[in-house]
Amino acid sequence: MQIDLIATAIALLTFFAISGLMAISLNLEYGLAGIPNFGKALFVSLGAYTAGWTYTRLLPRLHGVDALDPCGLTLGQAVQMRSEIMRTFPLEALGNFAITLLIAAVIGGAVGWLASYPALRLKEEWYLALVLLVGSEILRIVVRGYDPLICGTNGLSGIAQPFAWMGTLTGSPRVAALSFLAFALLLLAAVYLYAERLVRSPFGRLLKAVRENPDVAQELGKNVPRIRAGVMFIGSAIAAISGVLFAVNLGFVSTNDYAVALTLDVWVMVVLGGIGNNRGALLGAAIVTLLDRVTAITAIRLDMLGSEFEFNYVRFILFGIILLLMLRYRREGLLPEPVSTTGAQDVLARESAAAQGE
Amino acid sequence: MTTPLLLDSLVRSLQVGSLYALMAVGLTLTFAVLRLPNFAHAELITVGAYVALVVSLFISGNPLLVMGAAFVVTALVALVSHRIVFRPLSKLNSSMYTLILASFALGLILRYTLFLLADRYDLFDKRIAVPLEIWFQNGQFTITNIFFWVVPTSLGLVLGLSLLLNYTPLGREMRALADNFSLAKVIGIPVEQVHDLTWLLVGGMAGVAGALWGIYTWVNPTVGWLAVLSVFAATVLGGMTSFSGTILGAYLVALSENTAMQFLNSWFGLDFSFKPAIPFVIIVLVLLVRPQGFTAKKT
Repeated sequence: MQIDLIATAIALLTFFAISGLMAISLNLEYGLAGIPNFGKALFVSLGAYTAGWTYTRLLPRLHGVDALDPCGLTLGQAVQMRSEIMRTFPLEALGNFAITLLIAAVIGGAVGWLASYPALRLKEEWYLALVLLVGSEILRIVVRGYDPLICGTNGLSGIAQPFAWMGTLTGSPRVAALSFLAFALLLLAAVYLYAERLVRSPFGRLLKAVRENPDVAQELGKNVPRIRAGVMFIGSAIAAISGVLFAVNLGFVSTNDYAVALTLDVWVMVVLGGIGNNRGALLGAAIVTLLDRVTAITAIRLDMLGSEFEFNYVRFILFGIILLLMLRYRREGLLPEPVSTTGAQDVLARESAAAQGE
Repeated sequence: MTTPLLLDSLVRSLQVGSLYALMAVGLTLTFAVLRLPNFAHAELITVGAYVALVVSLFISGNPLLVMGAAFVVTALVALVSHRIVFRPLSKLNSSMYTLILASFALGLILRYTLFLLADRYDLFDKRIAVPLEIWFQNGQFTITNIFFWVVPTSLGLVLGLSLLLNYTPLGREMRALADNFSLAKVIGIPVEQVHDLTWLLVGGMAGVAGALWGIYTWVNPTVGWLAVLSVFAATVLGGMTSFSGTILGAYLVALSENTAMQFLNSWFGLDFSFKPAIPFVIIVLVLLVRPQGFTAKKT
C-alpha cells in the first residue's frame, strides 16, 4: 500500500484543528475555572446533531426545494440531493454551513449555561462530573432511539464539508480538502487568541479565583454561579462548533462517535498538554491526534500483512497508560500553567526597578 | 400487559437487582472507605466474568469452582490496581477529579487488554458453560436453575459483607476509616492493611458478580461497563455511602429497568431502545432533587 503523504498530512492537520478546539474548550472550563466537564461529548454532539438537522431540513429549502424525509423511503434520494447541492452550489453550501455554526454555538452555549445549574445544588463537587457524564449518555441514547433527527441508529451520511464545491469547480478534491483545512486552522487560531485574551482578562483572573477557592471568591462579592455559567457557555459553544466541524469532516453523523471515549480523549489532551495552559492544550491535541493516526495506520498495515493482532485496541491502552503516568509523575502537564501578569504588575516591576536604580 | 410478562419482568428485576446489589456494595465500600468513585469497578466485573468463562470452558463447569476462581483472581487484580495506581495517587493528595480520571484510565487499560485477549482467543459474546435446566415454564414466563444461583449467591455475599462490617474488628476498622479518616489514623488503625483488605473484598465480590452476570447473560469485554452506570445509579439512590440504601437502590434501579420499562412499553409505546437511559435519568434526578440519597439521615 502506498500512503499518500499529502492526503495524510491534510487529514492529520484537520483532525488536529478540530481536536484543538475541543481541548481549548475543556481547558477553559477545567484548567481555568475548575469545572470538571466529563460531558464534553454531549456538547460536541450537539454541534454534530445540529449539522444533521440543517443538512437535511435547511439546505434543501435554501436551495428552494422541499426537504425530503431523510430516513424513510426517500433516504437515497435525500442523500443524493444534499450531496449534489453541496457539490455544485457555493452560496447554499456556505450559507447553510454558516447558519449551522451559528445555531450550534447558540444551542451548545445555552445547554452549557443550563448544565452549570446543577452545580449549585450538588452536595459534593464531583457529583457534577457524574451528572455531566451521565447527561451525555442520556442524550446519546435518546437521539439513537428517536428516529426523526438523525435516523436513530443508522445515522446520516452525505454530510459534505462546506468547500466540496471547490473540488467540482477545480476538478481536484484536494483543493476542497485544503480549503476546509485552512478554514479549520483559521478558526482554531481565532479561538486560541480569544482564549488567551480571556485568560489574561479580569474575567480570566476571576475564573482562577473561583477555581482556587470558590468560597473566598463568593465572600469577596463575586457571583460564583454566574461566573461558572459564563465559562460553561463559552466552552460549550466552542465544543459545539468543533462538533459541526467533526461531523462534516467525517461526512456523517452517528451517535456512536459521541460516547464517553470522545470525552476521555479530550481529557487526555488537556492532562497531557498542561492543565490551565492553552498552548499546552494545543500540544496535547497534536500529540493525541498524531498517536490516534499512527495507531490507526499501524492497524491497517498489520491487517494488510495478514496479522491477526487487532492493533486498534492498543490505542486505548496507550492512552490509559499516558493518563496514569501524567497524573502520577507530571501533574502540571508538559507545558505547566504560566504565571499570569497584569498591566499593573508590569508597572510595579518597572517602578521598583527604577527605584532600586536610584 | 399480560400476567406472564409481568411475572417474567418481576423475576428479571429480582435477578438483576440482586446482581446490581452485589456490584453496588463494592462500589459503595470503595467510596466510603477509600473516598474513590471507582469507574474501573466496571472492569473488575468484566475481569471476573472472563475468569469464570475461561475456567468454565477449560477446567470445569462447576458453578462453585467458577465463582471461586473469579473471586480470587479479581481480588488480586483489585489489590494490584490499588498498589500501582490508587495508593501512590492518594499519597500525592490528589483531588477527586484526578482519582476519577485515574480510575477511567485504569478501566481503559483493563478493558482493552481484555479486548486484545478476547480477540486473540476468540472469546466474544460467549456463554459461561454451566449446566442450564429449565425448572418452570409457562408461555413467556420461565424460571431456570440460574435463578437459584444468582439470587441466593448475591444476597448471601451482600449479607456476609454486612455482617463482616458490623461484627468483626476489620469491619469496625473499615467503618472507622469511612467515618473519619484522620481520627482513625491517629488512634492507630493500620490504614494500609485495612485498605488492602478492602480492595481484596471489593475485587472479589466484583469478580463473583461478573461471573454471575456472565452466567445470567453472556460475556464480552464491555459487560461491566454496560452494567456499571446502573450500579452507579443504585449507589447514588442510596446516598453513596449507605449500605442498606445501596441495596434498596439496586432493586429500585432493576425494577425500573425491567418492570417499569415493561409498563412504559405496554401503556405508552416507549421503545425498549430507551431502556439504558433509565438509570441515567435516575442518577440525574436523584442528584438534583435529593443528593443525599433516599435513606440517608438528615444531617
